[in-house]
Amino acid sequence: MHPDAPDRPGDAPAEWHIASILVHLRPERSPGVRAAIAALGDVDIHVEERGRMVVTVEGPHEGRIADRMTAIHLMDGVMSAVMVFHHAEPLAPRTS
Amino acid sequence: MLDRRDFIKAQAVAAAAAAGGLSLPAAAQTSMVAGEDAQLIWSKAPCRFCGTGCSVMVATKDNRVVATHGDMQAEVNRGLNCVKGYFLSKIMYGQDRLTQPLLRMRDGKYHKDGEFRPVTWDEAFDEMASQWKRVLKEKGPEAVGMFGSGQWTIWEGYAASKLMRAGFRTNNLDPNARHCMASAAVAFIRTFGMDEPMGCYDDFEHADAFVLWGSNMAEMHPILWTRITDRRLAHHHVKVAVLSTFEHRSFELADIPMIFEPGTDLAILNYIANHIIQTGRVNKAFVEKHCNFRLGQKDIGYGLRPESVLEVRAANAKDPTDSKPMSFDEFAQFVSEYTLDKTAELSKVPKERLLALAEMYADPKTKVMSLWTMGFNQHVRGVWVNHMVYNLHLLTGKISEPGNSPFSLTGQPSACGTAREVGTFAHRLPADMQVTNPVHRSHVEEGWKIPKGLLPGKIGYHAVLMDRMLKDGKLNAYWIMVNNNLQAAPNTDNETYPGYRNPNNFIVVSDAYPTVTAAAADLILPAAMWVEKEGAYGNAERRTHFWHQLVTAPGEARSDLWQIMEFSKRFTTDEVWPKEILDANPDFRGKNLFDVLFRNGNVDRFPLADLDPAYDNRESKAFGFYVQKGLFEEYAAFGRGHGHDLAPFDTYHEVRGLRWPVVEGKETKWRYREGLDPYVPKGEEVRFYGNPDGKANLFAFPYEPPAESPDKDFDLWLVTGRVLEHWHSGSMTMRVPELYKSMPMALVYMHPDDAQARGLRRGSEVRVMSRRGEMRTRVETRGRNRPPRGVVFVPWFDSARLINKCTLDATDPISKQTDFKKCAVKIVSV
Repeated sequence: MHPDAPDRPGDAPAEWHIASILVHLRPERSPGVRAAIAALGDVDIHVEERGRMVVTVEGPHEGRIADRMTAIHLMDGVMSAVMVFHHAEPLAPRTS
Repeated sequence: MLDRRDFIKAQAVAAAAAAGGLSLPAAAQTSMVAGEDAQLIWSKAPCRFCGTGCSVMVATKDNRVVATHGDMQAEVNRGLNCVKGYFLSKIMYGQDRLTQPLLRMRDGKYHKDGEFRPVTWDEAFDEMASQWKRVLKEKGPEAVGMFGSGQWTIWEGYAASKLMRAGFRTNNLDPNARHCMASAAVAFIRTFGMDEPMGCYDDFEHADAFVLWGSNMAEMHPILWTRITDRRLAHHHVKVAVLSTFEHRSFELADIPMIFEPGTDLAILNYIANHIIQTGRVNKAFVEKHCNFRLGQKDIGYGLRPESVLEVRAANAKDPTDSKPMSFDEFAQFVSEYTLDKTAELSKVPKERLLALAEMYADPKTKVMSLWTMGFNQHVRGVWVNHMVYNLHLLTGKISEPGNSPFSLTGQPSACGTAREVGTFAHRLPADMQVTNPVHRSHVEEGWKIPKGLLPGKIGYHAVLMDRMLKDGKLNAYWIMVNNNLQAAPNTDNETYPGYRNPNNFIVVSDAYPTVTAAAADLILPAAMWVEKEGAYGNAERRTHFWHQLVTAPGEARSDLWQIMEFSKRFTTDEVWPKEILDANPDFRGKNLFDVLFRNGNVDRFPLADLDPAYDNRESKAFGFYVQKGLFEEYAAFGRGHGHDLAPFDTYHEVRGLRWPVVEGKETKWRYREGLDPYVPKGEEVRFYGNPDGKANLFAFPYEPPAESPDKDFDLWLVTGRVLEHWHSGSMTMRVPELYKSMPMALVYMHPDDAQARGLRRGSEVRVMSRRGEMRTRVETRGRNRPPRGVVFVPWFDSARLINKCTLDATDPISKQTDFKKCAVKIVSV
């Protein structure tokens, strides 16, 4: 076992993760894509232009970010969803 | 806290807008890292996964990789990252990472049927060396072999080639890239006399039409797919054609979607050639000046075992590579039988779509980029289909210029850099040289400073043949590095596993994780991975790129490079070279192989003082010289001045990779065209200088059916492949909890009517059965892959559900690459 292998998720301190995702979509399918993204609940749409859209995802762990990115990548009308920026920090100050 | 979050969110949006070219104020890369993270040390490294070659920025803290993000300065990915790349920081930290050598033992010593017990490196290498010496003594060099990888770094593949060919005097060295792009590599050499694409990724921004021939780029090359998507959405005249045997995610962008009957791509390609000729759109000046025509051998068999009925029945299974010259008129006559009617009937593609596709190639005003991966290469006629797509680009002169580009994509990070350029195939030497060519061997002997006549001229066993020879007891000492062949190879239960467990054989597996292959070995060696060592990869567009060692490997894990070099110390020339060679070269008597191969005045030329003090380098410190630099410079000498020029070693640590040939400090984006490629003499316009006459070869081949097709007993086509979340056999990505959770098991994707006809529905548990074996899984009828009736798709990443128990070990008879896309199965309820 790698000495740095992560602890069980239950032991992990509370974190806040944010990522921005660049989405390519068919412009004519935009209303449907927007509705589907809105239904995810934790994704914000910021700008859209010529079939390109910037969204941000926030969540308690990177698994949530990956789930949302994959979900968007596989939506009808979407050609791709790729990661640009990711940031994570503890929700409360570290005790150590 | 809220203000800070808003600030970071604004940064995130700005970065994505900048990367996507949307109008928002651009954010500088340095500002991407906020707050505490600013204390991290960031370094560049190429991604560990596919052949795209994205650059990522890697953050380390306290000798641990803590974060990665897309590299804004990299031309390939421009700051973007796919979901696999996003989790790169986690691939090294799986719970079951191997950290010590493990040997099967019983009663305190090695036993084939023993249990794995931890041993020291000395004990591991002692046992391994004694097994190698036993086999060499009993059977000679042809009974030892090594199976490497397109994931080896450049110097690891190069060191392995030296150890096997010069040390043990065998060409039984092959990479898992044989399963991946051997067909592409062989067709490049036969057409152009030189391997690898003439164009590059810049073609994405110049083409008017994109044609995907058996490639699901949306899932397998997502970053390159964003570049095609950008081009398509920003320019209304741009069209995308997607050809596949089932509908997948790339069809979302398709203007011309085409589902064809498996294997009939051969007929479609000949039809397009015929259409170009019949409609008078051949670029005659180009063809006359730059092309030869050849008639290829037909009825060449299916690369099965020679006693198989399909091989016995084939007229030309023994000489599949033969061809003879033909005229343009004869070529035109040859393809004339592939009419629109006949091709539509054979392929089941509607006529208007075939015609629209043919027009993309025929219209002289349309710049076409053809792209392909495994649909073309894993094909019993893989070399033929590769040739046939070059035929189209050559007939029309649409080649070697921005936007006109037949482009073979690759699946592994260094399939090009290591497997092909270094030459770790059973038939190849560095810089496209061949083991069967005595002039080439002699040139390599000089470069390596070894005795004349030492290198063997007989082609070694290729990947599938290695498995057969292990099973048959003819290959007995076998070292597998950086790959998971028991999961990846075809027909594994019958043709791969028996060889590993054959009592006459000693099987060694070097890996970072306990894969199914490692579990079937006799000795497991723990490997350092990715940024735990200094490395170099070569991507699909001829880009060579480097990284530094950023963290230390855990426990006793060591890089493949260290393992190869350290193992060589266990042998002397007296033990492994024949008497005649030593008699003729008495200076080499009694020498340690390590000294002969690696302390030869080349490899040990650069002192430790040349290391960048900011980074550790475990191998160099272990051996006392700058190992990677010495190996790279010795290797690079073979290609410089011969069209494969690489830049000086140190340059690559500074830049985000360079595309060879690098001449006078400048990379080459498009080869073979005057003004773009410094190797083309003035006034020649185009010269395919890999061939002595400067011309490219077009080949005429017919349509021939696959090795196995569905029948009444096994009534469905099985196509295997990959998915977005997992890379190849999943040995890394299945250990990233987030990726595992999002795609935990391999499903069988099938048409809802096919499911209903068998009394199945979505989620039903089923057995996928072929004549060779079976696997159990669940049915998916609504997922991202939508096969037509009669076809099912199963990905191969899942070690708990091995679809390769079902596949057939039929290969392209020329390239020896397996066809993983076409065999017959049936599906029954559990």
